[in-house]
Amino acid sequence: MFWGKSRNIVVALEVGSTKVAAAVGEIRPDGTLALLGIGEANSGQVRKCEIVDFEVAQGCIRDALAEVELKTNVVVAEVYLAISGAHVRSTNMRVTTLISNENDEITHDNVQELHDMAAGQPLPTDHAIVHHLLQHYVLDDGSTTDNPNGLASKQLTAHFHLVYGLATRLQTTIRCVKELSIDVKNYALSSYATAQAVLSRNQKQLGAIVINLGGGVSDYIVYQKGAVVHTGVLGVGGDHLTSDISNGLKIPYAKAETLKKTEGSVILDENEAEATLKLPGSYNFEERLIYHSSLNTIMQARQAEIFEIIMEELQNAPFWNDFAGTIYITGGASQVKGLIELASQIFPYPVELAHQSPFDGDQNYGRRPDLSTVLGLLQYARQAEMELPPARGIARVGQSLRKALANMRLI
Amino acid sequence: MIEFTADGPFSEKADQLFPGRVRVIGLGHTGAAVCDQLVLHGRPGQDLWVFDSDQLTIEGSIVPNRHLLGRNLVHGLGCNGDVDLGREIVALEEAKLAPVALGCDFLVLVLGLAGATGVALAERFVEMGREAGAKVIVIGVQPFAFEGASRRARAIEAISDLRREADSVLVLAHDRIADNPTTVKNIRHGFHLMHQLMGKIVQALSQVVCKRGLIQLSFADVRSLYARYSGSEVLENCWAGHVDGDIHDCAEDLVTELLATPLLADESIWKRVDHAIVAVSGTRDLGLSDVQELVSLLKERLPVNVPIATSASLDEESHDAVRMTVLLATTAPARLSVPELTAALENPAPAKKKRSKSDTVPLPAFTPKTEEEPPLIKVPMKRPQAPAKPVPVVVAVPEPVAEIVPTLEEELAATADLEPIPVLEAIEAHEPEPAMVAALPAQERGLRTAAKQEEMQFEGPSRGRFEKTHETMYRGENLDQPTFRRRGLKIRV
Repeated sequence: MFWGKSRNIVVALEVGSTKVAAAVGEIRPDGTLALLGIGEANSGQVRKCEIVDFEVAQGCIRDALAEVELKTNVVVAEVYLAISGAHVRSTNMRVTTLISNENDEITHDNVQELHDMAAGQPLPTDHAIVHHLLQHYVLDDGSTTDNPNGLASKQLTAHFHLVYGLATRLQTTIRCVKELSIDVKNYALSSYATAQAVLSRNQKQLGAIVINLGGGVSDYIVYQKGAVVHTGVLGVGGDHLTSDISNGLKIPYAKAETLKKTEGSVILDENEAEATLKLPGSYNFEERLIYHSSLNTIMQARQAEIFEIIMEELQNAPFWNDFAGTIYITGGASQVKGLIELASQIFPYPVELAHQSPFDGDQNYGRRPDLSTVLGLLQYARQAEMELPPARGIARVGQSLRKALANMRLI
Repeated sequence: MIEFTADGPFSEKADQLFPGRVRVIGLGHTGAAVCDQLVLHGRPGQDLWVFDSDQLTIEGSIVPNRHLLGRNLVHGLGCNGDVDLGREIVALEEAKLAPVALGCDFLVLVLGLAGATGVALAERFVEMGREAGAKVIVIGVQPFAFEGASRRARAIEAISDLRREADSVLVLAHDRIADNPTTVKNIRHGFHLMHQLMGKIVQALSQVVCKRGLIQLSFADVRSLYARYSGSEVLENCWAGHVDGDIHDCAEDLVTELLATPLLADESIWKRVDHAIVAVSGTRDLGLSDVQELVSLLKERLPVNVPIATSASLDEESHDAVRMTVLLATTAPARLSVPELTAALENPAPAKKKRSKSDTVPLPAFTPKTEEEPPLIKVPMKRPQAPAKPVPVVVAVPEPVAEIVPTLEEELAATADLEPIPVLEAIEAHEPEPAMVAALPAQERGLRTAAKQEEMQFEGPSRGRFEKTHETMYRGENLDQPTFRRRGLKIRV
């Protein structure tokens, strides 16, 4: 039953430019996560991960949630939401506090103070914070640590990676969900969520760049020594490839999308210079012959440009000189042919297609790169739930009651 | 008895080797505030002057040599952004201004580029300074973006005018401190921060151009970085950082603090910076190895390979103190951002009033000169969607031919992938103008009409699927437009 306290359900929701995906998972008592099911609906009026038409987008979210509720027999009352868009920015910063104990011993309060300072950093006008991701702590002797509690130091510095975005755009997405009487429990940057699905702790430690090629945007995240050192969102994605094909070959957008998925490649083959393929006609479209080389030239130009821009952004970041890791590519737009080959020509580091970490549940979902964000968001939700202090006494009763009322759509 | 005379860096002889006399003139409200900072934190002996038409500014300044101008004209109320009024005031107060430009080797003008009095005074002081044989350095600050398109347009025009005449023009941008926590909490603190920093720049420049030292740079080094352009194609060309420390401080901490200066906080500037000047000054204990360590640490911290010119000098009065100022410069014109382009298109710069120009100083070096131009200039009036067929017009232009300065319109046209109409403005300055106008189609008579047409063209074709979204711009390119089209790839259909 939905009020049964034995089940700890988490729901992840991604409102993407191509589709809306909702995943339901269960956190087991041993802390592992089991995927119960995924609901999907085609996105409407969401461009570059930003909602263009509120009502249409809300309808798509409703459809996706209804599907997952039907599949998993779980009533969705609250969700973890993936956030993205070209308005999202990031920066690295550090905050310092003096340790005023008698023994100069760092306490939990000192650590909390640093986190509060990071979360309260002034942002550009109209921007709101999405994440303040801890990188490491530095003691007064210059040594670094991940857990300073109990150590002695006269001052403590914490390095954070700050992610922030335009408050209005963030609010639009959240409001779109909340108006369906579904609470947004927390949200996470899409690329950060994706990394949780495709990177192991060891890979994060060794250094990894995850490039998530989505429909509307391409976002990327860089891990070095286990910490996030750089994130970015480029407002160009798979939709741009399709749009270019549609423009260049003068064919409808839907046909361009099919052509991209079935025949397109981002690698130019000189042997196919004169090769053609037949585009079947329909009631308002005459059958046409398309040059393979034209299709591939359009796709190659766009995809190479995306990689070149990302490469340029990464190169200009301070971490680049010390980076020695692997680049992992995922996302719906990573399924085009020749992508890894093209990426390998542009990036000076090994490039691989990302594979999702194993989980319990339908393994077919694990093979789909377009679901890596929503599955990563489930992992993020699991971690967030585990870090929450358990409610006790009246608070626990109140929590249960609130959950029950929420499930009955009464609050 | 043998008379011993002091030798070395503190000797009178050393002083005579670098006899630069620097006079700093604060113009307008910003200039006054910067000069106040120099009085408060500067070293004695600096020759400071302040001029403004606003009585409150003058009364509030602590600079001894401060003068209210145009009392009879504006009654101490300022010019309210009217540069023509500012010029009238300057013309009326000529007698008061003239002696100030005399008797110095370097004239440093500090002003806010959107202020009318400051800009009008700067234009006149540049002329007077050069007539008096002084090198003129202008330090100006652009207004915040939110202050409006008109102030921004005025600043752009002022930058263009000043660069044409001054030896060096350093342009900073207020927007750099917009994200600074100090500014976010209280904008007055932000302004204060900028004024302090401009004061430090003045001090650093004074050191570079005329102070004896361990490592000596000269005015040529400053001019080589900040006098490369004559127009407004490079708006912001200077970023600066400053740190005051103790000789016993850790060098790494000093460099870290230096790079934490608000103007350097935005990492995007490192993509543009390609030269740097570092001015280090300190006590007698400051050794060459200390300077070397500081500069090498700074080099390590710079994310790009920026050549650094270093000036190091000793300061008798700085007790164990070390001052380090870094001035960064760019040589690459930055693409205007979309709001800037829009603002510029909405407010095209008005036709400039040609002021008398002296031919004595051949700078700036990068200005395309037309001294050897033939007497004929072809004016390609090609407009992609003009109703009339493009008509090449040949206009006879008598000598002498004026400079053709790359203008904002060119930049805009280039960004919009359109054929620029560069020579219209140049021709406008020549006689006979009617010949050209008569040769044009009726709807294209006059530059303003042409600019309107360019504006329509700039909107470009439909953005299709991305019509309702914000444009994704990268380095001036609209990424929503197909890549193959932007790169000119041929597609067989």
